[in-house]
Amino acid sequence: MQLPVLNDAPTSKSGCEASSCGTTENQMDSLPDSIREKVQNHPCYSEDAHHYFARMHVAVAPACNIQCHYCNRKYDCSNESRPGVVSEVLTPDQAVKKTMAVATNIPQMTVLGIAGPGDPLANPERTFETFRRLSLEAPDIKLCVSTNGLALPDAVEELSKHNIDHVTITINCVDPEIGAKIYPWIFWNNKRIKGVKGAKILIEQQQKGLEMLIAKGILVKVNSVMIPGVNDQHLAEVSKVVKAKGAFLHNVMPLISEPEHGTFYGVMGQRGPTPDELQDLQDSCSGDMNMMRHCRQCRADAVGMLGEDRGDEFSLDKIADMDIDYPAAMEKRKVIHQAIQEEMDSKRLEKSTKAAQLKAAAKLTTRPVLMAVATSGQGVINVHFGHAKEFLIYEASPDGVRFISHRKADQYCGGDTSCGDGESVLQVTVRALAGCEAVLCSKVGYEPWEMLENAGIMPNGEHAMEFIEEAVMAVYKEMAAAGKLDDKQKAVRASA
Amino acid sequence: MAVKIIESCVNCFACEPVCPSKAIYEAKPHFLVDPKKCTECEGDFPVFQCASICPIEGAILDSLGMEINPPGSLTGIPPEKMAEAMRELQSH
Repeated sequence: MQLPVLNDAPTSKSGCEASSCGTTENQMDSLPDSIREKVQNHPCYSEDAHHYFARMHVAVAPACNIQCHYCNRKYDCSNESRPGVVSEVLTPDQAVKKTMAVATNIPQMTVLGIAGPGDPLANPERTFETFRRLSLEAPDIKLCVSTNGLALPDAVEELSKHNIDHVTITINCVDPEIGAKIYPWIFWNNKRIKGVKGAKILIEQQQKGLEMLIAKGILVKVNSVMIPGVNDQHLAEVSKVVKAKGAFLHNVMPLISEPEHGTFYGVMGQRGPTPDELQDLQDSCSGDMNMMRHCRQCRADAVGMLGEDRGDEFSLDKIADMDIDYPAAMEKRKVIHQAIQEEMDSKRLEKSTKAAQLKAAAKLTTRPVLMAVATSGQGVINVHFGHAKEFLIYEASPDGVRFISHRKADQYCGGDTSCGDGESVLQVTVRALAGCEAVLCSKVGYEPWEMLENAGIMPNGEHAMEFIEEAVMAVYKEMAAAGKLDDKQKAVRASA
Repeated sequence: MAVKIIESCVNCFACEPVCPSKAIYEAKPHFLVDPKKCTECEGDFPVFQCASICPIEGAILDSLGMEINPPGSLTGIPPEKMAEAMRELQSH
C-alpha cells in the first residue's frame, strides 16, 4: 500500500514556496483526513496536538548496534536534555508501571515512545515485552518507537502486531560516502564494520525498513540531524527520497555538539547549524515534504508536554508508592481527551474562518516579522517571561501567522544559574531571541523589559491568555499601523 | 583464557545477548564475565563478540590484560585531541 503523498499540488509560483506558508494553515491542515485522525492527539507528529497533549519515553533499550558521531554512550546527567541521555534504565515491568502512573497523573499523556537510550530494536526482547504488556494493560495509550533502522527489516512483522502505528527512523543520508562521516561503525552479522561499507549496509536497511513499514500501513516519520558541511547540502535529497517512498513527515533537527558532551563532533569542533541555516533548509525541503518544526529533541526518558520534563515526579521510588487503578483512570482520561479534542476542533474551525477573513481583507504589503511567544500549552500565551524555559517562534506576514521553531531559554544545562563566561540566564535568553522583534508573554519584569528593548525586541504582556496566532496577528497589525514595517530592507528574510 | 569487563563499562547490555557462551552477566556496579565460561569465542566466531559491539574504548580486556578496543579506535577521536579537550574543560 502506498500512503497518499503530501503536497502533491504544484505550489504557487508567486510568493513563498514553502507549503505551510501563505495562510494561517498549520502543518497538519495539509494532511489527508485518514492520517490526521491518527496523529491528531500525538504531540510529536502534530504541531497542533503538541499544545495540548503530552508524551513520555521509557528508557528500556540501553544497547545500540551502531555508533553515531553525535552520540556518546558514557554520558548520563540529569540536567541534560537531549536524545540518548537518561538517568535510569528500566526493566519492561518497571516501564509498564511508570507508564500507567504517568497516564493516571497526567491524563493528557497520550503517547508512549521507546527511543533509547540505545536503539530500541537492538533490544528487541525488552522493547517488545514493554509494548506487548502496554497494548494489553493500557490500550488507550498510543505506542511508538524510534530507531536507527539497522535492525528494522527484521522487526517490522513484530511491530505490526502491537498497537504501534507510528515509527520514526533517523535517516541522515542516502549516500554511503556521507554516511561514513557520520557513522564510524555498525555491528552487523557478528562483526564490527567500519567506514563506507558499514554506512552502506545501514542505509540499505533503513530504506528497506521504510518500504516495509509503508507496505504495512504504518505511519513513518523521518528524523535527520543537520550537520553543517557534512550532510546539510544532502538533506533535501533525503527528503525527496523518503517522501517518494511514503514517509509522511520529515523532522530536520540541529546537531547538538557541545564539547563537554564528549562526542566525536563535540571534541573535534564540528559546529551545529545556526537557526537561520536550519530554517533555510526546512523551508527548502518543505516544497517537497511535510516538515516538522516543533521537535524538542527530548531525552529517552522524558515525561510531559514537549517543552517540559516531569521525569523527576515519576522516579522508581516515587512510583512504588503510587496506588494505580488503571481502569478507573482510563474512564477519566477518556472524558478529558474528549474535551481537549472538542476544544481543538472548535479552534481549528475558528482558525480557518479567520484565515478566510484575512484572505478577503485588504492585503498589507508589509514585511514579515518574527515574534517569540511564552506558552505552556493550550495554544495560549500564558507564561511569565522570567519563567519561560523556551519560546515558540512565529512569523507574522501579510499572509498570516506560521510556526517557525522553538528556542530554549535555559540552553541545555539547567544545573547552574550562569554560564562559564559569566553571562546571566537573562542575557542568554535575550540573546536566544535574536532576530525577533517582539516577545509576547503573560507578564514581563522591569529588568528584562529594559534589556529586551535595548536588544530591539518589544516586550508585550497585553495578550495574556489569548490564542497565540490571534495575538501575534494583532501585534503585527499594530506594528504595521504604527509604520514600523514599511522599511522593506530591514528584515526581508525571516530568521528564526 | 577469558576476557574481562572493567569499571569503565556503562551497563548498556549490548554484549550480553551476543556472547555465544552465555558467559556475560549483569552485576553491580557493572557487567562481568564468568572466566570459567568464556571461550574467547573460539570455535564460534573469529572475533570477540562482546568487544565487537561494545561502544566503550578500553572497557574489555583480553586474557593478557590488553585493551581490545584502544583509545580512538571506536570514536575516531585521536587520544591527544581528547586529552586536549578534557584539559580545556577542566580549566573552566
